[in-house]
Amino acid sequence: MFEIVFKYPSAAFAKGQFVLLGKWPTWVLVLLAVVAALVIARLLVRRGGRPTRQLATLWGLETALIVLLLLLLWQPALSVAMLKPQQNIVSLVIDDSRSMAVREDGSSRKDKVLSALNPSFLKDLQKKFQVRMYRLSGGLERIEKTEQLTASGTATRIGENLKQLAAESASLPVGAIVVMSDGSETSGGIDAGAIAEIRRRRIPVHTVGFGNERPNRDVEISEVELPSRVLVDSRVSARVAFRQNGFPQGRTKLTVRDSGKVLASKEVVFQRDATQQSETITFQAGTSGARNLQVSLDPLEGEESVRNNALTRLVTVDSSPMRILYIEGEPRWEFKFIRRAMDEDKAVALVTMLRTTQNKIYRQGIANPKELEEGFPAKPEELFPFSGVIVGGLEASYFTPAQQELLKQFVDRRGGGLLFLAGRTGLAEGGYDKSAIADLLPVALPAKKITFFRDPATADLTGAGRDNLICRLEEDPAKNAARWKKLPYLANFQEVGAPKAGAVALVELTAAGHGKFPLLTIQNYGTGRTALLATAGTWRWQMLQPLEDKSHEMFWQQLLRWLVTDTRGPVVASTPELILRDDGRIPIHAKVRDTSYLPAGDATVEARILGPEGSHETVPLQPDPLTPGEYRADWNAPKDGSYVAEVVAFHKGEEAGRDVLTFRREDGLAEDFHLEQNRELLEKLSEQTGGRYYRPNELARLAEDVSYSEAGITTRETKELWNMPVVLLLILVLRGGDWLLRRKWGAV
Amino acid sequence: MCKRAAILLAMSMLTVLGTTYAQFQGRRGRFYERDLPMPADANEKTEWAFARLRYPSHEMYSYYGRGGWGSWTTDGPKAERQFVLGVRRLTRLHTRSVEQVVDLDNDEVYNWPWIYGVEVGHWQLSDTQVVKLRDYLNRGGFLMVDDFHGTREWAIFVESMNKVFPGRAIVELQSSDAIFHVIYDLDQRVQVPGISPLMRGITYEQDGYEARWRGIYDDKGRVVVAICHNMDLGDAWEWADSPDYPEQFTSLAYRIGVNYIIYAMTH
Repeated sequence: MFEIVFKYPSAAFAKGQFVLLGKWPTWVLVLLAVVAALVIARLLVRRGGRPTRQLATLWGLETALIVLLLLLLWQPALSVAMLKPQQNIVSLVIDDSRSMAVREDGSSRKDKVLSALNPSFLKDLQKKFQVRMYRLSGGLERIEKTEQLTASGTATRIGENLKQLAAESASLPVGAIVVMSDGSETSGGIDAGAIAEIRRRRIPVHTVGFGNERPNRDVEISEVELPSRVLVDSRVSARVAFRQNGFPQGRTKLTVRDSGKVLASKEVVFQRDATQQSETITFQAGTSGARNLQVSLDPLEGEESVRNNALTRLVTVDSSPMRILYIEGEPRWEFKFIRRAMDEDKAVALVTMLRTTQNKIYRQGIANPKELEEGFPAKPEELFPFSGVIVGGLEASYFTPAQQELLKQFVDRRGGGLLFLAGRTGLAEGGYDKSAIADLLPVALPAKKITFFRDPATADLTGAGRDNLICRLEEDPAKNAARWKKLPYLANFQEVGAPKAGAVALVELTAAGHGKFPLLTIQNYGTGRTALLATAGTWRWQMLQPLEDKSHEMFWQQLLRWLVTDTRGPVVASTPELILRDDGRIPIHAKVRDTSYLPAGDATVEARILGPEGSHETVPLQPDPLTPGEYRADWNAPKDGSYVAEVVAFHKGEEAGRDVLTFRREDGLAEDFHLEQNRELLEKLSEQTGGRYYRPNELARLAEDVSYSEAGITTRETKELWNMPVVLLLILVLRGGDWLLRRKWGAV
Repeated sequence: MCKRAAILLAMSMLTVLGTTYAQFQGRRGRFYERDLPMPADANEKTEWAFARLRYPSHEMYSYYGRGGWGSWTTDGPKAERQFVLGVRRLTRLHTRSVEQVVDLDNDEVYNWPWIYGVEVGHWQLSDTQVVKLRDYLNRGGFLMVDDFHGTREWAIFVESMNKVFPGRAIVELQSSDAIFHVIYDLDQRVQVPGISPLMRGITYEQDGYEARWRGIYDDKGRVVVAICHNMDLGDAWEWADSPDYPEQFTSLAYRIGVNYIIYAMTH
């Protein structure tokens, strides 16, 4: 249609340059146009008797006609670069990855490509160009016949392969590249370098998109968010994002498995088609070690692909228990019952200091008789090995100013967790609001003399508490809220003010005559976190409930695990991506701190990597010259599978610490996801390289459009525009319109 | 002759009866002060209070249960009130001066995770009380028993205790156990006598010649029942203010009591 009206294909206009072939200068054309406009206006005004709107319309039509005719006298034309016939190469790059085997509407995408590449199309193309065919997946391979396509490649790397193609054919007259693909790029996108290289060679990349832009019937897990590191026997919460098409209101089962063993399972109900949905599923982490957790949605009948119903994630379950130092100012039942609750937790070791008499501290859980012998730590190297601290009913002045500063640094710099408990000599009564550690409190303290009361009080979850793992006594939110309501009353409480900015109250406390105020408040502070529990009376949850009820144990285990889970050691290893898709390159980073948790810039750091089938390698990490205490190495995971890297740092002749990093190389898996055609990527590729995106049914135009290119061996052609059908049509419309309006308005 | 013999017999019987009466009066009269004034802090809400266990007396000693008094009341309330004075002075424990009486017939006992049972050689727990005590101990409660002596009272104590914990052994507490070191190191322990035998110049009662510190452990190795057999810590607390009662026994009794409380609050 376009060509009928405009004589030439749209590509000619897109690529061409508008020129005037007439010998007279352009300014004469402009001058004549202006003069014509003025003369027409004067004639119309002199004749008069018409409303201004009618005069203006007639002036517009007549002026446009005159200007058009004048323009034709100046011989308008397109100057466009065109590939010289039979002297250029057109590279036909065909996606041969596994996603092209997806069947839609009765045939696979590969079949649709073969159908598009029918003999007449190829013949048309071969008339004008030398055609070279390539199959594209993880790599690029030249093929002679379409029969060589198998749709079995385990990756799609369009950008990388096009860059390779451009480099390999640098000395060849490549006039255009045609990419036939579903756009299911598995390396995360086409990098700017590849685009720049193609643009530099001015090769237009035309893309032909295959596959539905929205699957007909499919369920896909798009993301699983899991902490990469958890404590032994932790309750782990995974947020699973998924979407579906073709099964609105359908039901299936979401399951978490560890080596085939089901850890948790729940039913999910789908929302509307193409809606991104997310569900949270909680499970026990189990014993220490690296876990390959598979999160899956049970396949539904008629799904186009079931391979995208599952994702695997790596989780490291920490083996060494995190140590928490709990200092308590006086014998209290809460102390005993916290200890009992934590006795059952292998991930957290409670080291306690109880001021039993004015001059005696009773220590429990110490590593050796010397530990804490001198009282509460006064040096970083004594306090910082702990991951968390609990301050019980103890006045602030018990801590020296240096110890208060140390506590602050423990949270801020070391990244530890600090929990304050209520007590008759704690919080407001203990003078904490006037101490150096007042900043660490997540709530304001009331300016009252007496805030601690031994009266019954009840606990209620807040909105934030309902969603928080600390307060999760039941998986089902409604059951959880009901269980909290059934908890026995608290034995005592201490009034506190509102949460500070950035802090969040998870549980509120209600006491007759005292109103409602935060019971459990948490906040992040510096690199660590702090919390405040405004009671020392949760022990009644244990004593007043049946033995089988584990509310008290669960609450304390979850609270103290939260307190220390993100507290890292002096060596912290990391990598940007824990899942390597079809590419083994992985940067390994490590932050190394000394015993005071200050950056250790002169450490020796190495990663001891254990890979699939018992393979192992030691990789040295080099210090980052710009950031003291940071070390880096680039490594390549050679095979598909799971890897465990133990990063060990030595500082001043001693081991500074070690950390474990787990990552996984997954070859071919990405090919099973995002099965819908990535039209956006294909359009962007063609747009940025001067090509065009085509649907398969538009392929007939491709052979003609490909000719318009500035790459390869070209000739510049001039295409006259005066004889375009659209010009005649425009003249008729302008003149006819003028005549019809004059008749209508009685001006003829 | 018959008349003289009859008079001698009568006098002998009177002597025996008088001595026996004096013995019992020793518990109820001279050696027992019930009507103590109520301290000002009687109603104060505190972290801890001396919780005395009220239990039914064994059928063999049912006379003890007459008139509302039973063996469970022995030495009280003076013993605990004097003991609490020491607890308050020697520790940082927040406590009130007045005891709390609890029994195993309702759930109030769960609010008092440390309870003291005296003369448990005279107790006889019902089936429901047995279940309650087991549950109480399993949830985290602690029972200290004291002032029962000899083989016969031990058998009576064990009869009920075996019903509470059929599978758990009663064992001798080793000197190395934390319960003897939590505040005071109690490696050197002696038999703490009741005041009555002490007045007779002995430290034991019945055939309980040797003081035994025994206990029952839970699955985690924590003492949940501390058994003071063949000793009378209650009397040592009760007569701490008496010049007739030796300080060394009182001192040890206080230390044992304090250690047992702090142990219960830390384990």
